Amino acid sequence: MPYFYNTDDDRREMLEAIGAASVDELFQSIPADLRMDRPLEVGPVLTEVELTRHVGALAGQNAHAGNHVCFLGGGSYDHFVPAVVDMIASRSEFYTSYTPYQAEVSQGNLQVMFEYQSLITRLTGMDVSNASVYDGGSAAAEAVLMAISCSKRDGRVLAPESVHPEYRATVETYLENIGTRLETLPATAGRLDLEQLSAALADDVACVFIQHPNFFGALEEMEEIARLTHEAGALLVVSFDPISLGLLQRPGDYGADIAVAEGQSLGTPMQFGGPYLGIMTCKQEFVRRMPGRIAGETVDREGRRCFVLTLQTREQHIRREKATSNICTNQGLFALRATVYLSQMGPQGLREVSNGCLQKSRYAIERITSNPRFELAFAQPTFKEFVIRDTQNQVEQLLATSRETGILAGIPLGRWYPDLDDCLLVAVTEKRTREEIDAWVASLTGETSARKEQHTNCCHA
Amino acid sequence: MRNTRSTQLIFELSRPGRRGGHMPSLDVPEAALEALLPAGSLAKAALPLPEVPEPEIVRHFTNLSTLNMSVDTHYYPLGSCTMKYNAKRNERLASLPGMLDVHPLQPDETIQGMLQMMYEMQQALAEISGLPATCLQPAAGAHGELTALMVAAAYFRDLGEKRTKVLTPDSSHGTNPASATMAGFKTVTIKSTAQGLVDLEDLKSKLDEEVAVLMITNPNTLGLFEPNIAEVADLVHQVGGLVYLDGANMNAILGVARPGDFGADMMHFNPHKTFSGPHGGGGPGAGPICVTDKLEPFLPSPAVVKQDGVYRLDYERPRSIGRVRSFFGNTGVLVRAYCYIRTHGGAGLRQVAENAVLNANYLLSQLADVLPVPQGNRCMHEFVGSASKWKAELGFTAMDLAKRLLDYGFHAPTVYFPLTVRESIMVEPTETESKETLDAFAAAVKAILAEDPELVHSAPHSTPISRPDEVRAARQPVTSCPVL
Repeated sequence: MPYFYNTDDDRREMLEAIGAASVDELFQSIPADLRMDRPLEVGPVLTEVELTRHVGALAGQNAHAGNHVCFLGGGSYDHFVPAVVDMIASRSEFYTSYTPYQAEVSQGNLQVMFEYQSLITRLTGMDVSNASVYDGGSAAAEAVLMAISCSKRDGRVLAPESVHPEYRATVETYLENIGTRLETLPATAGRLDLEQLSAALADDVACVFIQHPNFFGALEEMEEIARLTHEAGALLVVSFDPISLGLLQRPGDYGADIAVAEGQSLGTPMQFGGPYLGIMTCKQEFVRRMPGRIAGETVDREGRRCFVLTLQTREQHIRREKATSNICTNQGLFALRATVYLSQMGPQGLREVSNGCLQKSRYAIERITSNPRFELAFAQPTFKEFVIRDTQNQVEQLLATSRETGILAGIPLGRWYPDLDDCLLVAVTEKRTREEIDAWVASLTGETSARKEQHTNCCHA
Repeated sequence: MRNTRSTQLIFELSRPGRRGGHMPSLDVPEAALEALLPAGSLAKAALPLPEVPEPEIVRHFTNLSTLNMSVDTHYYPLGSCTMKYNAKRNERLASLPGMLDVHPLQPDETIQGMLQMMYEMQQALAEISGLPATCLQPAAGAHGELTALMVAAAYFRDLGEKRTKVLTPDSSHGTNPASATMAGFKTVTIKSTAQGLVDLEDLKSKLDEEVAVLMITNPNTLGLFEPNIAEVADLVHQVGGLVYLDGANMNAILGVARPGDFGADMMHFNPHKTFSGPHGGGGPGAGPICVTDKLEPFLPSPAVVKQDGVYRLDYERPRSIGRVRSFFGNTGVLVRAYCYIRTHGGAGLRQVAENAVLNANYLLSQLADVLPVPQGNRCMHEFVGSASKWKAELGFTAMDLAKRLLDYGFHAPTVYFPLTVRESIMVEPTETESKETLDAFAAAVKAILAEDPELVHSAPHSTPISRPDEVRAARQPVTSCPVL
């Protein structure tokens, strides 16, 4: 095996020092009848050359954003990842280290965590960020649990249908065994109806959970939602799109109590759904109920500024069953990627990315809806995603045709929303070019696109 | 050689007007923002993000990286964390565009290679665990625990049984009781014997028909295989409960013994430990779980299935608990774990366990005369010594030794866990270390014991910082750099 050191001579010397006759003897505490009497069957051993060929062949069977033009979103996006992000994250001093329990030899990781938290609080306008949780879905669930704890109300949690269906499903799973009910409010116009919210709010509601921009890409009326929620004594939990904050008001600006996000957009590849980055922030007053690791500033014995893991009395390794959560991971490597990404973009770059998404998605909307077959499903203003309806109700066929021209044209919504089974959710990031958008339109409408061939070969950034 | 400027914050390197990335000019018509979005939704001010050019960003983060110890630079015998070598081939293969740039909601027919790999991963974990049904969705070991407990809750609900308790030994990981709370259960702690094993009498006294699950780590956190595990499992099953195996220590028994064969009904793997991670500075991990057939219907959705040679994601799982996160799972971690498993094969995985156990026992033999191991002179993949004698005789603690080892160029072992051993020092060598490294580590521990205790107590002396003031950090929390 390629990663072992021990030779037969080593083994002999080591066994002698141990005072054991054989390696088998070291396993004698395992009763004989519980030991395996055959090798595991996990496929034949592959050398590096063979493994490279095998995995290369499997990878070669997958369509991806490098050989297809990707208009898929719904929580995972084909944004541009600058080379500095990949290069820094491939430093093995970062990726082969572990949780910084020994602060003296982990200042790199700890300072990155502190810078990450600082960048996220600046991005969101929230008081406190933790060092991250798993992903957007579990961040939402942790936020809702935290809101139940902070509000001391455990009757209901309200969320409109315009919240990502997988985030709602995750919240529902987490609430199943603790007695709090997730009540889903309709979003028939593509966003939460404020009257429906008012009617549902009561003093048993722990929090209102909103996604903004929402799953359909539309903007929710955050200031009004915040006002209504707080008047009812409930907390406002928001799932935001980090890229949108290059243009939009921040969660802290409109009064969110807890704000979470899927941070994949900030320099993490799509990699079939994970690992991603769960961003989690809150108001200062709730920090001791926040789950997850937090880095804090302090000084060493010489008075030099340094960083440590702090407020650990919230956490499972100290508090056990009384901890704020069971989580004992932060997505360190992806928090690092987000830190480098936000540093590289800066205020101006992020605004350009954000504006690119907005303007290009508007161009796509104008182009596609100029064909009478397609219409916007909802009239609300959108950011980088939108829902189009195929009035001929042939979504699957359209997607298959587009794929033949090297385009992943959108996500069919019927699986989650039976009423929208004639609709596609479409995401347009800053990476998309006008030519690609024109080719996307052509692939859906059947109009000719002179330069179609180029798109299937477009080089991956 | 260390660049002292590397400890400046990125915000302190910022100067107005500097910048890193530039986006291309728009190739579509640009409309005024106010024409596209409601005025009230727009930001009122520029974001207070740093303004730093690319070369400075690269130097900043590269210099920060050099302040870390890591597996690639140092021996890292951190008990319970399995800090083994992270194979470079796995990194490269997980970075192929056909793995890295795949969107999670692509149609099944466009991801047949990905689904085949995940299907084979489900099968491999089922084989290694001895439990037939696998779910790859959980994002970390603790997330796997929570998922499995939710599966157990759904199973008992389906049976119409009201069970409220989860039992865990006092030596268990803190995540076990914390997961139990999140899944709506009350935790009941089982005592350990002086030998560090589950106290059978205490277990019997706490078993009743309100017990849903016993969560057990085996080998346990003291590095001992529970020899009575079959009897323990039988006792739990007799009252209708389920046995959960915390798979944190699977490195010790790969191919030697299978949790499904010694009575576990469900378990999680830590691929970032057992199947070589990497750990990423604290994450990502993954926490796939394996369960018995009777629990399979309750696993999260979707699962990868194979029909007529075609792979697809099966969402039609009416009794499923639902989802525990968005999308499929921590695929990037699972791809690396798959590469690791295929590199070793069945016989190779057993050799992983054999070498891990051999290395741990060898290091124990080299240290036993100076570092008492209360639970005896044999272990599995790790052992837990007690520094309480040193505290009495030399005046320094387990933490002091940990800090002084940093000066010798070794990452410290885990200290003060498990809580059942006083002044505990938990050492896990892993199989990807040489006898010479283990000898050097043992020599360092012995050299430290001969040093002036004050030198040890004030260690470390050669690291980028000395001991930080943790009390100050907790009392006056500063968790972000304020905007000036």
